[in-house]
Amino acid sequence: MIITKAKEDKDIEKYIGNYKRFFLIGCSECASLCGTGDDEAISIMKKWLESIEKEITGSFIAKTGCQILGTKRELSQYKEALERADCILVLSCGAGTQTITELYTEKPVIPVNDTLFIGNMSRFREFEERCRACGECFLAITGICVVTLCPKSMLNGPCGGYKEGRCEVNPERKCAWIVAYNILEKRGLLENFYQQILGPKDWSKTNSPRQYSAKRR
Amino acid sequence: MSKLREKILKGDFVITAELTPPKGPETFNLIKKLEELKNVVDAVNFTDNPSAKLFMCSMAACKLSLDVGVEPVLQMTCRDRNRIAIQSDLLGAHALGIRNLLVMSGDHTIFGDHKEAKPVYDIDSSILVKVVNNLNKGLDIKGNKLNGKTEFFFGAVVNPNAEPLIPQIKRFEQKLKMGAEFFQTQMIFDLERLKRFMDFADKFNIKIIAGVVIIRNKKMLYYLSEKIPGVVVPEWLINKIEGLDEEDIKKYGMEFAYNLIKKIMDEKICHGVHIMAFSKIKEVTELLNFSKIVKMKV
Repeated sequence: MIITKAKEDKDIEKYIGNYKRFFLIGCSECASLCGTGDDEAISIMKKWLESIEKEITGSFIAKTGCQILGTKRELSQYKEALERADCILVLSCGAGTQTITELYTEKPVIPVNDTLFIGNMSRFREFEERCRACGECFLAITGICVVTLCPKSMLNGPCGGYKEGRCEVNPERKCAWIVAYNILEKRGLLENFYQQILGPKDWSKTNSPRQYSAKRR
Repeated sequence: MSKLREKILKGDFVITAELTPPKGPETFNLIKKLEELKNVVDAVNFTDNPSAKLFMCSMAACKLSLDVGVEPVLQMTCRDRNRIAIQSDLLGAHALGIRNLLVMSGDHTIFGDHKEAKPVYDIDSSILVKVVNNLNKGLDIKGNKLNGKTEFFFGAVVNPNAEPLIPQIKRFEQKLKMGAEFFQTQMIFDLERLKRFMDFADKFNIKIIAGVVIIRNKKMLYYLSEKIPGVVVPEWLINKIEGLDEEDIKKYGMEFAYNLIKKIMDEKICHGVHIMAFSKIKEVTELLNFSKIVKMKV
């Protein structure tokens, strides 16, 4: 899922300036799992806005905020409340925010959250990055994603910086390559892996903006 | 033509030192240091923004070194340049007369003075070895033909202190396979660890230069142990230093480096040493005079 983190109030205040009336939009997918776009997040935002003497014209939680047509359909019933608002606050990821920007070009659309990464939830609302959407998956070879979990994206084994199997960049973490090495060894793929060299990686697959049509397949 | 290559391949014991290029445009001190190192060491390595801290580029320092008459080793990391910049810089370095290279991944930007910078790591150090090997064949990394072949003598790094050691050894083998012509080790404190690694490396008939550091004071030793990636200072050495006053540590540091170098030479453990004195040239010359290593070599 896409991990989001609510901005500090003081940072939001900078963007909402003199606007008086707000419409709030959350998202029931990732942002709800992160607690940044669910009912509770909307209600906290409402209370805060009211405490600084702002008016709420309405709110709604999109089923899937990044789905443009579906969200447009859902929003049609809030036409009046949206028209009354000076500004739309979006409690979603950057993709969800831009759905709203596309639908309401005449109003300022302001993100409440910062979008962090694609994450796995290890415990309740504890997230970690394991995939960075590099467009060329090596997991069949290395078991864990060394492109993501190694801060240097080493493709062919560890650098010389680890100590007692811990990463030089973050000693609280195991060196990703020590983990991958053990996986290769357990799978009996080690000798095979070191017969060749992986890469240079095709980073052009991460050149943004990326587009993909699943229909074409 | 690399004299370093000539010497080490002939079987001579080589001594290299390390200089960090200046922190700014002023090159006076660098040139002074190089004058002092002339005829004392076989070559001087110029680091590539070590610990991800900003300094003058290694290539310019190498050129200044050539002008003084000291053979340089250009260090190149994967941290700050993509494959286009790396190849382009290497071709430029070759045009300036630089013939020795030492390539490595490079300390992460998180350690440096520009922590917000985007770390590049477009390629890793094994691939960087392959890049240089290709340039020496007149090819870029894509296999496209260049208008000539470079003549680099190129090495890679290995860390015999690494724990676990086997994944490190695999990388060593991989860099060998990619064409590395010599290796320089991370700083060594524990000769047994170096020997353990050399028992393995000797099978490959490859030249290895051991990293030796001159311990200056307690603070430095703690810094190396805690802040420098991949450096392991043995417990007994920390305890030993702990019991000495600062003046004795200086003396001990010199003796320690001397004994290490002497053992490496006497027992023919490696094919050279690389002295890391963090640009303190007086210490390097003192050590070499003290140990009469220069004379021993003759």
